[in-house]
Amino acid sequence: MKFSLGRRSAAASLIVVGALVLASCSSSVNDNASKASDCGTWGMAMHAWNGYTASAQVVAEVARANGCTITQTTLEEAGVTYDAMEAGSIDVIIEDWGGGRWKEWVDRGAIVEAGANGNVGLIGMYVAPWMVAKYPDILDSANLNKYAALFKTADSGGKGAWYEGPPGYTTIGEKMISANKLNFKAISTGSEAALVDVLTKAEANKTAALAYFYTPGTLFIKIPGLEQSRIKFPANDWTDAAKASGLTDYPETALQKLMTKKLMDSGSIFSTIVMNFSWTNADQNSVAADIEGGMEPAAAAQKWIDANPDTVKAWLG
Amino acid sequence: MLHLKKSQLLIGGALVWVFLSRILQDQHTLELATSENTPFTTSVGDVAASIRGNRTKSAAFVYFFNPIRATINGFVEIIRTVISVPRGNSIIPLIGWFGVAAIVAFTVYATSRLRTAILATTLLLACGALGMWQFTMDTFAMTFASVLLSLLIGIPMGIWAGLSDRVLKILTPFLDLAQILPTLVYLAPLALFFLIGTASATIATMVYSIPISIRITAHAIRNLNQSPVEAAISMGSTGKQTLTKVQLPMAKQMIVLGINQTVMAALSFVVIAALIGAPGLGKPVVDALIIRNVGQGFVAGFAVVFVAILLDRSTSAAAKAQESFIPPTPRQIRNNRIKVAAAGFAAIVAIILSRTVLTLAVWPTSINISQQVEDVTNNATKWMTTNLYIFTVGFKDFISNWVLNPLETLLAFSPWYVTLAAIVFLALVIGGARVAILAAALLSLIVLSGLWHEAMITLTQTIVATLLTMTIGIMLGILVGRNERAEKILRPFLDAGQTLPAFVYLIPMLGLFGPTRFTAIATGIVYSIPVVVKIVGEGIRAVPASIVEAATAAGSTVRQIITKVQLPAAKKSILLATNQGMIFVLAVVVIGGFVGSGGLGYLVILGGSKPELQGKGLVAGLVILFLGVTIDRIAQASAQRA
Repeated sequence: MKFSLGRRSAAASLIVVGALVLASCSSSVNDNASKASDCGTWGMAMHAWNGYTASAQVVAEVARANGCTITQTTLEEAGVTYDAMEAGSIDVIIEDWGGGRWKEWVDRGAIVEAGANGNVGLIGMYVAPWMVAKYPDILDSANLNKYAALFKTADSGGKGAWYEGPPGYTTIGEKMISANKLNFKAISTGSEAALVDVLTKAEANKTAALAYFYTPGTLFIKIPGLEQSRIKFPANDWTDAAKASGLTDYPETALQKLMTKKLMDSGSIFSTIVMNFSWTNADQNSVAADIEGGMEPAAAAQKWIDANPDTVKAWLG
Repeated sequence: MLHLKKSQLLIGGALVWVFLSRILQDQHTLELATSENTPFTTSVGDVAASIRGNRTKSAAFVYFFNPIRATINGFVEIIRTVISVPRGNSIIPLIGWFGVAAIVAFTVYATSRLRTAILATTLLLACGALGMWQFTMDTFAMTFASVLLSLLIGIPMGIWAGLSDRVLKILTPFLDLAQILPTLVYLAPLALFFLIGTASATIATMVYSIPISIRITAHAIRNLNQSPVEAAISMGSTGKQTLTKVQLPMAKQMIVLGINQTVMAALSFVVIAALIGAPGLGKPVVDALIIRNVGQGFVAGFAVVFVAILLDRSTSAAAKAQESFIPPTPRQIRNNRIKVAAAGFAAIVAIILSRTVLTLAVWPTSINISQQVEDVTNNATKWMTTNLYIFTVGFKDFISNWVLNPLETLLAFSPWYVTLAAIVFLALVIGGARVAILAAALLSLIVLSGLWHEAMITLTQTIVATLLTMTIGIMLGILVGRNERAEKILRPFLDAGQTLPAFVYLIPMLGLFGPTRFTAIATGIVYSIPVVVKIVGEGIRAVPASIVEAATAAGSTVRQIITKVQLPAAKKSILLATNQGMIFVLAVVVIGGFVGSGGLGYLVILGGSKPELQGKGLVAGLVILFLGVTIDRIAQASAQRA
């Protein structure tokens, strides 16, 4: 028969506690581990687009090679991540597209700007390239309404489907639609992968698609002609998406690095690496292409690091 | 007579509604661009911004929120240091994988029996083989911490509510509300006060699981056989003596069952908690969702399933072990003690080994089948999306064009006052004046919030998903209710379905249907079917056999028995199942904001990312609550009146 739970669990917890005490006294494999340098343990935000993964992974691998312990956490962009930095669980954002939306956190002393990372971002609305060949004037935003019917789906409410970027990305699609009086409906997609899917399928099946995308990105290598399939809107420049008028196109943006004040003040080598990190769109694309080709991010990053020792050395200060 | 009148009223009302909606379509729909705020959402946003601004300075944060956050963070970190995360320059946590497996085996063995212990250990090792060891340990740490803290609050409050009618009466509305509120909604307000990270996630989990432990504990105390209690009181026991010597020991099994339910609630929250930076298995699930890697999602999802079965079986086995009323003989006690002590000794040896032998400390990389599982599921999904095109895209488009879009036009693209009046009329006919007044008040608040249109989009998806759920659920429920063999075959699936977090279902559905409203609806259906089948099945089974036999003797066909006898007799269960189904569906449809379903859920998610829309996101959460209560009250009233 059985013990009563009380006695049994009392016995069980006694043994577990005893075991823990014993265990912490006994020697362990940890004692043989080589002492690492005093870089410390730092958290990196991992945002979910391929280019970000490439940059972040390279920085993480360089830091690890220099004795840092880096944890990588996937989080939605902006607000959520800034709060995580304020709370102390994240220390670095390696690529932020928002023009100063972090200002409030900087004012509070939680975040410091760590300069541009060398990549230049350009967001735009792209159609599947086959459409440009068939309808040459489609690239002018003024002609979009003429073709709106082509873009209808079961989910677009009788209008053309305008596949918008994910929630955390810089998006002004709705404003563009209303300011330009377009007969389109912005549809939230939720992820870069969904946008890739929309454009790839449309080009392969010769179906219509209008979707948000951006350079740097490896999709332009995979879909020839995509880079030339960007819709041209009346140009204008702005930095804060919240204040954009909508009669505008997305401007070119120097992508920014952000870090916590804690990291900045620590004097850690990781702070130096992040401060100095800078590379080109071509660099990012080469790593991102390897990751997309199925290579583990860490391996892809290491491949680039091995091929560019001088650049990496410069980051170490 | 009255009944007929009710259905006539409903049909008449529906006709007027459709007619008005047709002629007034697209007017006064209160549509609001996603990036736009209303004065109300702006002012909520300002409040949120000022809370953010006060985090470092104000007394409430310095002396209240921040210490709580630090304490809970510290508590979880201690557990993680023991089983999950190496500290400082270490390469393993305090206890390696072999030691943790031994502790689990021993604990389950000591509280139930050998067979359950073997099952639990096997499942745990399977998580390791999926390459998910550390995530699994983080989930253990998070679940353990939040369950412990939940029980610390839940059991005493449950006992109090069990003893005092007044306390129960005060608590009941809150307990009801907690059951209606979709989990996604808690996250943003909690993150505002406790920031992103372990502490917020733990507190959010507690908010979700404490009501369950209060409810079951109170129920356990209240439903005791009263004669021993009365005997104790008449023999002069004090209140405290009666409680500790009579009531608690008698209610023990029920309370352990409550622990089981609390553990399962906490676990189902652990995935969604990853959205606010909680460590654990939720991380790879959310990752997979964001990068749309169905295979990776499956790998992590399987690990969640294994952990769920492990925790469910071992805690319910522990509850079962309380069942026996035959006191053990001294010899049995001694034998048992020897066995447990031996097992304990073995566990200690295993722990020490796990600290000194590298292969027993760090999960060996050679034992990892995640790539294979990932490939198989990715290929299967690819095959399904290319070859079952008719099923995936065809069915999706059919439902979208013929059910979803017309209903959306009726609810969201009619003038707000037409839809509002129609729903209130429906509430009046189905539930009576009180329900109608409540519905009118809550819906008016939604109108005032400025998010009416989005609310109606969400309501549309909830209704469509519920209709499909009930269609499938009632059929399966009839099968389960009438056929014991079918019940036996389906039972494990229903049990497993109920223990799985909704998030896990979202990924395969996304693979099949792409980023659309239908993905959210399909996920909602899969998530809510188990509960509907169970309730309907029980309802059918509860129909007295004599009635069924009489009908059979009178020469009724099987079809007649089902439609004329069993279904009408089980009407109340079916309505109850509809109520439960709708609440389950609402919770999932809201999460659908992640995969392109739009509506209120999308606004909640958007609010988390875009500081300028945080106020709107918080208001969207509140509107989800209003919508949930409205749906719940109307559905409940219809079940009660049946």
